[in-house]
Amino acid sequence: MKKNYRFLALALSLVLCIGLLAGCSGGSASTTATPAPTEATLADTLIFAQGADPRGLDPAMVDDGESSKVIVNIYEGLLKYAKDSTALEPCLAESWDVSDDGLVYTFHLRQGVKFHDGTDFNAEAVKVNVERQMQGNATTDMTYADFVYGYVTKVDVIDDYTVAITLKDVCTPFLYNLAMSMAAPMVSPKALEEYNGNLNENPVGTGPYKFVRWDKEQDIVLVRNDDYWGDKAVTENVIFRIIKDNSARVVALNNGEVDMIDGIDATVVDEITAAGNIVDQPDGMNINYMAYNTTSDIFKDAATRKAFSQAVNVPELVQSLYQGYASPADTILPSFVPGFSADIKQVSYDPDAAKTALAAAGVTKVHMISYSNPRPYNTATGQVLAEAIQGYLAKVGVDCTIDVFDWTTYKEKVKAGDYDICFYGWTGDNGDPDNFMSLLSDKDPAMNVARYDNAAYNDLIAQGKAAPEGADRDAIYKQLEQIQVDENPWLLISHSKLLSAYSPKVQGYYYHVTGNIFLSQMSKTN
Amino acid sequence: MPMLKFIIKRLLLLIPVLIGVSIIVFVIMRVFSPDPAPIVLGQHATVAATEAWREANGLNAPLHIQYLNFIKGVFTGDFGTSYYTKTPVIREIMARFPATIELAVSSIIFASILGIVIGTVSAVKKNTVVDSAGMVTALLGVSMPIFWLGILLIILFAGVLHILPSGGRIDPLLRPDTVTGFYLIDSLVAGNMKAFVDALRHLILPTVALGMYSMAIIARMTRSTMLDTLGQDYIRTARAKGITEGKVIRKHALRNALIPIVTVIGLQLGSLLGGAVLTETVFSWPGIGSYTVNCILKSDFPVVQGVVMLVAITFVIINLVVDIIYAFLDPRIKYTREEA
Repeated sequence: MKKNYRFLALALSLVLCIGLLAGCSGGSASTTATPAPTEATLADTLIFAQGADPRGLDPAMVDDGESSKVIVNIYEGLLKYAKDSTALEPCLAESWDVSDDGLVYTFHLRQGVKFHDGTDFNAEAVKVNVERQMQGNATTDMTYADFVYGYVTKVDVIDDYTVAITLKDVCTPFLYNLAMSMAAPMVSPKALEEYNGNLNENPVGTGPYKFVRWDKEQDIVLVRNDDYWGDKAVTENVIFRIIKDNSARVVALNNGEVDMIDGIDATVVDEITAAGNIVDQPDGMNINYMAYNTTSDIFKDAATRKAFSQAVNVPELVQSLYQGYASPADTILPSFVPGFSADIKQVSYDPDAAKTALAAAGVTKVHMISYSNPRPYNTATGQVLAEAIQGYLAKVGVDCTIDVFDWTTYKEKVKAGDYDICFYGWTGDNGDPDNFMSLLSDKDPAMNVARYDNAAYNDLIAQGKAAPEGADRDAIYKQLEQIQVDENPWLLISHSKLLSAYSPKVQGYYYHVTGNIFLSQMSKTN
Repeated sequence: MPMLKFIIKRLLLLIPVLIGVSIIVFVIMRVFSPDPAPIVLGQHATVAATEAWREANGLNAPLHIQYLNFIKGVFTGDFGTSYYTKTPVIREIMARFPATIELAVSSIIFASILGIVIGTVSAVKKNTVVDSAGMVTALLGVSMPIFWLGILLIILFAGVLHILPSGGRIDPLLRPDTVTGFYLIDSLVAGNMKAFVDALRHLILPTVALGMYSMAIIARMTRSTMLDTLGQDYIRTARAKGITEGKVIRKHALRNALIPIVTVIGLQLGSLLGGAVLTETVFSWPGIGSYTVNCILKSDFPVVQGVVMLVAITFVIINLVVDIIYAFLDPRIKYTREEA
């Protein structure tokens, strides 16, 4: 009988192609620093699942939350945040002094700290880290270099464990910048030299965990740093697993394949708790708002802006859209950020007054633009939020047209400025009040989407930036919040909560308000 | 040496094909994708920073200059660096390609075996309950969206029955050292049976989800060609010679019916590489499909260009290899100048 050679040919060619590709894959990007943990350590492993691969593991090169969660377990900065707020605490710097003119910060460094490659952490290392990201040295893709070190003019090594950083201008937020998980963590100068100034795949820090390997889009494995200067990590191995699909991540938690997950929304909370797992929901460092274009004919007048704000029942809207997983915002600042004032209140819901005022002003039509996707500060999507507000405005006789765009296009539209109302939000960077409040004084329309320009406000922002921490500085931010209420360039909507979940076997769960997870003091019972 | 001429001609044809592919992907990305600068720079993308980034990455140069720079890189084996991760594109791709190939190959094996069995049984038992059951299965296979089937499989086998993992390629603590990038092979090379079994368990659900559609197509094709073959005179002759029915079906009917089926299987392998996008996302399978989609969404031009070029090269070479092997194995096929 005649053989079917075609089938054999296909099978052989398949094998050949596999062989070819197998040969290519020799240069896999999975990088191995030390041997992978063995099976025997299985019981001593924590697994955290997140929704995307980190952009990289060099703190100078990344800007995303997924990178940040891994970075804070490998690296440390000179300062760190308190456990439940963004108040500052010493870390690699034991203490610091600020010169009388506010321009020179002298840091007294912790002694006996070593990087994971065995080299010493000292003043020279700080100098290398800061100078690497200073103007002139930073590359264009060091996204946080200018934000964190833009004010720095020079770094002087005083002695092995004392370093002085000079700023060109007074800038109190500078200290908060140094506690950030982006740009501020200290990386090993030796590793920088070894890996051509990019540690994205070869992270070397001083933190409680050392990097073992990263299989792209699969997992990142870390192992306890037994030479850590502080409290050593309780659990020997930690694994960050990448599970992109939200429902698959929930199944993995409920199935016991992973111990902790984040990137979830309100719709899966019941499913998680029904399986006996625990949902964690601290307030997040963010603000979700609607911005009036203060340069448009309709909204150049503060009275009209306030009338619009009166038309919207924000608490009802927030409850309906976010089902309790966001709090209505009375202030721009989240409650745990220094400078927060509990006694600031936004304009209250009064549709009758709104209707009267808007009829008197002759406003019957507005043009809104919004975004189609969920954002960290608005899980319901900008479109849903815009449509909800459209409903409220219809009740006071205003007809809204809404144009919706994908996020990238939307940002271009916002920059172009062809709208009466847009929707935006902000996720805080450094836990300093200036980081939120200065948005309304920014000259860049990509930041200040209300295009608000008020000399008194701008002046107070400058004062706040220069004032040393304390009650006087807090009072400045209270005044700024009050101006926002009176002038109403934004209608504040909500502060979104950070939803994550974990197995009841996990002890000491610690998901920080900055959206980072610190694994070193967590453990898991068998 | 007609064969050598044929190979050289086909290899030379690769050049215009790749130039065409490169121009198409280059133009599509540059014209239809949003500006990558605000995506790369994130929340702090000021107008000035965006402009500086575009300048540093050569995006302010005229399009034809950008294209020539890209082509110059391709010829020197340098596909550039990912805008987003700052890692060489070739490394990013090679870290993920084996995962996609492993999944596509296992899916085509699953689809071929099951499809041929279902199709053959349906043809032999034409117009019976068995035939209907087989064709309903095929209908379900072509009708069910991959992502929906994937999520159902996860909920059932991982969420309810707890017998298979919900996603990923292997338990991270069992991962064998990278030799080929194919975990089934690597775990065998390492002699680690536990890792092999674990990798196999991880492969089952995505294989079924991805292979279901191809299985259905193959089953339908097998049924119709088998019905055709079973009606041929030589089958009647074989039966008349007293050959057992099983042997008639396997040796006489199926062998001859396989020729168009093999063609379909070959085509399905190509479409599986494309279909892997959804499966990879649902099952957290770290392959090239979902990664490429992410890179398209992030306007990571160098990665998208690199992937498309690599896939084009792979397809052209696979076709060439198949054609060459046909000629070696089947003396009836000759690549004369006219035929080539």
